[in-house]
Amino acid sequence: MRKGFLTKVTGVAVAVSLLLMGTACSSQDTSSDATGEREAIHVSVGRQTLQNVTFPDGDNYEDNAYVRMTEKELNIDITDEFEANGEDYDRQVSLALSAGDIPDMMKIGSLDTLKELYENDLIADLTQVYEEYASDYLKSLYDSYDGRALANVTLDGKMMALPGTNGDNGPSIAWIRRDWLEQIGLDIDEDQDGCIKIEDLETVAKEFMSKNPANADNVVGIAFAPWLTSGDPDGTFSMNSIAYALGAFPKTWMEKDGKVIYGSTTEEMKQALSVVSGWFREGILDPQVGTRTWDDITALLANGQCGIAFGTWHIPGWLLSNVYALNDQATFEPYVVEDANGMINCKHNDATGGYIVVKKEFSNPELAIQIANLFYDTLVNDTSLLDKYPEVKDYVTNGVDGSSRPFNIEINSYTSLLDDYTEMMKGINNELELEEVSVLETRTNIPAIQRYLEGDVDADNWSRYHCRLKGVGLIQSVTENNKFAWVTPIFPKTTTTMETNWANLEKLEEEAFIRIVTGDIDVESGFEQFVTDWNAQGGAQIIKEISEQLQ
Amino acid sequence: MEGKKNNKRTAAKRRSEMSYHLMVFPGLFFLILFSYIPMVGVIMAFQDFVPAKGLFGSEFVGLKHFIYMFQLPDIGKIIRNTVVIALGKMIFGMVLAIAFAILLNEIRIKFMKKTVQTIVYLPHFLSWVVLASVVTNIFGLDGSVNQFFTAIGIDKINFLGSSKVFPGLIIGTDVWKEFGYNSVVYLAAITSIDPGLHEAATMDGASWWKRVWNVTIPGMLPIILLMTAMNLTSILSAGFDQIYNLYSPIVYETGDVLDTYVYRIGLVGRQYSFGAAVGLCRSIVGMVLLLSANALTKKLTDQKIF
Repeated sequence: MRKGFLTKVTGVAVAVSLLLMGTACSSQDTSSDATGEREAIHVSVGRQTLQNVTFPDGDNYEDNAYVRMTEKELNIDITDEFEANGEDYDRQVSLALSAGDIPDMMKIGSLDTLKELYENDLIADLTQVYEEYASDYLKSLYDSYDGRALANVTLDGKMMALPGTNGDNGPSIAWIRRDWLEQIGLDIDEDQDGCIKIEDLETVAKEFMSKNPANADNVVGIAFAPWLTSGDPDGTFSMNSIAYALGAFPKTWMEKDGKVIYGSTTEEMKQALSVVSGWFREGILDPQVGTRTWDDITALLANGQCGIAFGTWHIPGWLLSNVYALNDQATFEPYVVEDANGMINCKHNDATGGYIVVKKEFSNPELAIQIANLFYDTLVNDTSLLDKYPEVKDYVTNGVDGSSRPFNIEINSYTSLLDDYTEMMKGINNELELEEVSVLETRTNIPAIQRYLEGDVDADNWSRYHCRLKGVGLIQSVTENNKFAWVTPIFPKTTTTMETNWANLEKLEEEAFIRIVTGDIDVESGFEQFVTDWNAQGGAQIIKEISEQLQ
Repeated sequence: MEGKKNNKRTAAKRRSEMSYHLMVFPGLFFLILFSYIPMVGVIMAFQDFVPAKGLFGSEFVGLKHFIYMFQLPDIGKIIRNTVVIALGKMIFGMVLAIAFAILLNEIRIKFMKKTVQTIVYLPHFLSWVVLASVVTNIFGLDGSVNQFFTAIGIDKINFLGSSKVFPGLIIGTDVWKEFGYNSVVYLAAITSIDPGLHEAATMDGASWWKRVWNVTIPGMLPIILLMTAMNLTSILSAGFDQIYNLYSPIVYETGDVLDTYVYRIGLVGRQYSFGAAVGLCRSIVGMVLLLSANALTKKLTDQKIF
């Protein structure tokens, strides 16, 4: 079902159970230190899950090979205090925060939440345990971000969370059904460089609609999620590709001519909205845009009603896999959208995304660091661990989703995405022995992609081929051809006006954009009105506050 | 003698009434637990509430959140939406329920009467979480209503994505869901009207319409007024479950109501004090309306609700 009542009910139930269980959990903790024969320490965690993750029989988020390995290696006992998908998870965290009782360890999604947890004095200072317990390799991963990663989680000089790193994932990619392009004999990218123009997207959408290769009912050219734009450059189902190609960076703070600007209020953004609203009038854009939810769009793709999906390089692994599940003949080709000068505009990410916090009263905060060591160092670098835990090896080989690890964050070096690709290509071309490959996931990617290329198209090979060879391959080739034009945004700390007015400004933006696109209000006057309102309702003040931060 | 006898009787009476008092107790207990104790939380509206510091440790900020609320640029629009939707639901809901009760009362075949009553009753017991997907499927752009429109050559209407139609859809589906259940009260009111009045009216040659107008409706009036007064208290809540499950940014213009707004800004945005301030304002408006409705009823019909 949809968001709503159910979420509320489970939310309240969790809040109540938190209150009831809180005491029970903490009384089980033993504070004897990790010297040999101590009793297993109980750790309750909050876990952000994904929908439709396939586990081997009998396994689930709370009890799976990764969790069992962690429990055995560190002599602990992990239970899930709460689990939820996506936004629902953030609500669970909000509820736990309002109840003032959080699990021993949990993932949180934003620095605002971190700040709030800190102000409520609910989380532990990890500075010392990080210094003492973090492995050199783990530290080197964080250091590859020039200190930006740890600076984000440092409040009043104290490290309050273990941050997930967030290297650059490239722009939002237009994933287009290659089997359809071949079927109708359409070639939009003659020089094969993976870069297409906005007009090419229009052509594909029109052709797909008129030729309807899958013989589906109610075909849709292009579909966007109701929020239209995303603060992440690669936001899934967003119109970011089009906006970026026109030089607009929605939901982005940046400096231009020495002044702080907000990307959603620029002239370029108006042009992007004008293009998309033109598509709406022409019928290329989903006539139900705005009411079509994320799941609805996934269904459009899976049913063959729509053949273009926007998203990051790894959506074939968890989103487009739904298309493969219904039609194993489906293949996708990734394209990036270029601007008038043939460049691909993109912006750098903030260094961190996703954070692990530890409850203040938890007796063994060093366990959080040790879990991180285990997954982001030992498991990656020490093959003997896989021999010791064959079931974990199966997990890695079969590509069980990484969210099944106790911490659903990634800690990678800044350049890991393209480094891994280079290494993987060497392996695929047999220039490198499999045993010499340094990254664990690459060791399974290579044979899987080789199998795919030899014609063995199973779900796992299909998704690894599309993500790693196609998706990352495109980012690599654009990088090699020097066609990326990178923008470095400002990542401001939450200002006082943001605290009170931001939710309302976001609403204003979301509402104005969708109404402009659907033609409910005129592009010119509607956008002008939006910018005026935005500035009047706190936007101008926030810009002033951010400028002060920068000085 | 007389007095003693009297005492005895009261004691006996008291004993026999004891069981009734006991029966009231669980209800009273829950009323206190869920309605009175949480009232302490009203303090939150005057604080910058921080969960960790608790209700008594957080800093007092006076009317800050109330001032902020009335300075919100959208507040006028949101209150208007709320009142329009809530009034629409109330008026159409009552008229339909009363009309339905009068018509149902005319059915003489008992089996028919019960069957119809049960059928119109049922939707009341379905949650909006479930009904929302039914509504989406019927009124969506590819839904059955629009397929029908296409078949007879009318343009499709995006019921869920048009700010002009959306409030109508909300009111219409809510009235459909609740009118059967609401008619129960009116049906009871009709049955309590003395049949002698009807007979007398018939004798005097009154037509069916005349009897409805001059006997049935006046007989129901106290109940109608009571229900109106009760409904008025909820004029500022337009039904969270229903709207939350059906709306989207496109229809914020006419579909965003106080509940949904407070939920998005207050709970998801974690501004608890602000949420409490809005809640308090709403309760005050509800109370004022109830008291005035009570006074008005007394003036008009010489009957009081409480």
